[in-house]
Amino acid sequence: MRVRVKFEKTGIMRYVGHLDLMRFFQKAVKRSELPIRYSEGFNPHQIMSFASPLGVGLTSVGEYMDIDLKSEVASVDGLSRLNENMVEGLAITSFKYLPDDAEKCMSAVTAASYVVTYKDTNDDACYIDNIADLKVKFFDEAHEINIVKKTKKGERELDLKPLIYRFNLEIVDGVPIYDLLLSSGSTDNIKPELVIKAFHEFIGLPEFDDLSLDIQRIDMFTGEPDSLISLGDIGDEH
Amino acid sequence: MKKLALSDDILMQIDKPARYIGNEFNSVKKNPADVDIRFAMCFPDVYEVGMSHLGIAILYDMLNKREDTYCERVYSPWPDLHNLMKERNIPLFALESQDAIRDFDFIGMTLQYEMCYTNILQILDLAQVSLLTAERKNDDPIVIVGGPCATNPEPIADFVDLVYVGEGETSYPKLLELYKEHKKAGFDRAAFLRAASKIPGIYVPSLYEVTYKESDSTIESFKPIYDDVPAVIERQVVKDMDSSSYPTKMLIPFVRAIQDRVVLEIQRGCIRGCRFCQAGMIYRPNREKSVDILKEQAKELLASTGHEEISLSSLSSSDYHALGELMDFLIDDCLSEGVNVSLPSLRIDAFSLDVMSKVQDVRKSSITFAPEAGSQRMRNVINKGLTVEDIIGGATLAFKGGWNKVKLYFMLGLPSETDEDMQAIPRLANDIAAAYYDTVPKEQRQGRCQITISTSFFVPKPFTPFQWAPMYEAGEYLRRAKVVNDEMKAQLNQKSLKYNWHHSDVTVLEGVFARGDRRLCPAILDAYKNGCFFDAWGDFFDFDKWLAAFEKNNISIDFYAYRQRDLDEILPWDFINCHVTKDFLKREWNNAMNAKVTPNCKMNCNGCGAGIIGSGVCHNAR
Repeated sequence: MRVRVKFEKTGIMRYVGHLDLMRFFQKAVKRSELPIRYSEGFNPHQIMSFASPLGVGLTSVGEYMDIDLKSEVASVDGLSRLNENMVEGLAITSFKYLPDDAEKCMSAVTAASYVVTYKDTNDDACYIDNIADLKVKFFDEAHEINIVKKTKKGERELDLKPLIYRFNLEIVDGVPIYDLLLSSGSTDNIKPELVIKAFHEFIGLPEFDDLSLDIQRIDMFTGEPDSLISLGDIGDEH
Repeated sequence: MKKLALSDDILMQIDKPARYIGNEFNSVKKNPADVDIRFAMCFPDVYEVGMSHLGIAILYDMLNKREDTYCERVYSPWPDLHNLMKERNIPLFALESQDAIRDFDFIGMTLQYEMCYTNILQILDLAQVSLLTAERKNDDPIVIVGGPCATNPEPIADFVDLVYVGEGETSYPKLLELYKEHKKAGFDRAAFLRAASKIPGIYVPSLYEVTYKESDSTIESFKPIYDDVPAVIERQVVKDMDSSSYPTKMLIPFVRAIQDRVVLEIQRGCIRGCRFCQAGMIYRPNREKSVDILKEQAKELLASTGHEEISLSSLSSSDYHALGELMDFLIDDCLSEGVNVSLPSLRIDAFSLDVMSKVQDVRKSSITFAPEAGSQRMRNVINKGLTVEDIIGGATLAFKGGWNKVKLYFMLGLPSETDEDMQAIPRLANDIAAAYYDTVPKEQRQGRCQITISTSFFVPKPFTPFQWAPMYEAGEYLRRAKVVNDEMKAQLNQKSLKYNWHHSDVTVLEGVFARGDRRLCPAILDAYKNGCFFDAWGDFFDFDKWLAAFEKNNISIDFYAYRQRDLDEILPWDFINCHVTKDFLKREWNNAMNAKVTPNCKMNCNGCGAGIIGSGVCHNAR
């Protein structure tokens, strides 16, 4: 039986990379004595898979991991046993049994939502008076947003517009806060940095530093753009 | 969010930022305001190496069991962070609290190998603490070092306030109590150091004076400055391993450590008496833990860590009295699904191979032998106690058991080694390969067998029977490696053989430090100031900088490394009593020169001196 575990990765845990996080969870599952299933074969390993990896430096309140159990454990129990084995900055928020036909979290992801702001309130972007109007021109009124995306194979032209499902901008105490919903997953994986970079270029701030942004992933979704379902809404507590 | 010493901007531009954030599962969190003593426990090498070290794990746990002490960890910042810390004047911090360690009471460092000496200076430098004990002020931390290299601490005497000679479990409680008393009474650094010198195993280098002979610049005398300071420091050892402190929880690093597994120490010391091996001499007597305690500890550690591997730690695991019982327990009763055992330091005999076949993946792993020398004469010189029949017999058993890869470890440059002894190395490997083709029928072979020969260069160490032996110049080591390589090419089964050898420059330097005296301190300081650190890492080692530092300070490599020492010379470490007597070491040196084997401690007592401890193999029924 498959369980989908939702968790948060916040605070100092942003400096721990994806592979290290996976190893942490393998040990945490072992310590919590959950009846996890192992792969058969020569080098047995826990059957565990993660949704889209989170880059170093980003935080998230909507991360997912699927695990296979040999026998059922009450959801409240599984949740608390895992939480006892977490560290500051990692917290388990849900433990749900998946229906048999549910797609694996890794391949299911089609979109992800983010809140992006600036680490430094002295950032140039915080001093653009008409930034809200520019945002409307950049996104709401645009038919296409063409950028050049650098990939491992080289550069390719890409229209961001159909891959940005939501681009909201709010200004709190003079600081822009972006609320994004972007195409995600194995095909068109759009990183929030890429969208903000395109916006910066549009508003005339060509010098762009990825590290100036404070990015939090809020949730991950599956399904089509017009009918997205949170990965956390699938399955039931037992 | 927990406070961090490094800003986001720094953490995002360095390699593996998770090395510096602490927060590991099972790490200890205390309120610094609640303790009397803050202790920074440093391993002077990078995080992944330091986190794998058992000694630190034991002391971290032991010190933190005290309510009055908060022990935190520090590892050497990698050069990328080193540069940023220097540039921005960021003081070195401890992982748990992220507080600057210059404000701590103690900075403790373990010295596991000589090539970390400049990293000691790096830690003090980044901590913004004076590098020289003579320049430290009353409220500076007390710098204390321990570990195997503390058996000859003289090359770093100028940099440290205290040296702990021996196993940390023994005298730390006394030292910390003394410190507390002095702190309460209004701390006076000099008075504390003087009082500390009277605690067993504690050496205060600044309280001793060394004079040298004008004739040959060897030591003339080595004496305490004051009458009440002991002239001899007795190495401290744990008498009862069962009641000795051992952690039931171990830290789980985020960044994968070299040892990503539970390490269970099954015994200390070794009965074998190999004449090159410092550990085999200084950790005497051999002391075993009881099998019942080990069973308990294994269970607890696996549960508290979630590791998927447990490794038994000792110098020679096959010699543990109840290895079979322990292995059966681990395999049948203790290990859950997905967990396996690894067993380093096994002698290759029928019993060990049987044990290994139960726990190891035969198809993938190779089997390792350490004959250390190729010819029987040479193996008798080093007292390896291993015959060619043992080796070929062991290999044959391994081949029958399904292994087809064998790794062989040897040393080059051992005392009295001739070209013939070196040529015996590839010949032995060839015979092992031949044993494979004789043992395994053609249809069962999975291709050729693979025999890998590795040689390292022998470095004479203090408190071993070879402590008087000469070393060779770097070029001579390479010539010796070439002798082996040429002979390998002449072997019938050469296609099954592979040969790796180590670089030799670093060997010479290691040799200088191992048997050095306090006249080396200024050269080490200069080398550090000129940019030497992480010398144990080939990428950073710069021999030319070292040669320049030696030249500037009139240090002769010849004097420290290449000369044959007189058996009656006063050696820089003679003020330490490691229990193994000089008479025994001399006797063993003479036995070595006559290629005479000395039986192991379980067969016969050879009167080494360690019997005075009153425990361990010396007093158990043989």
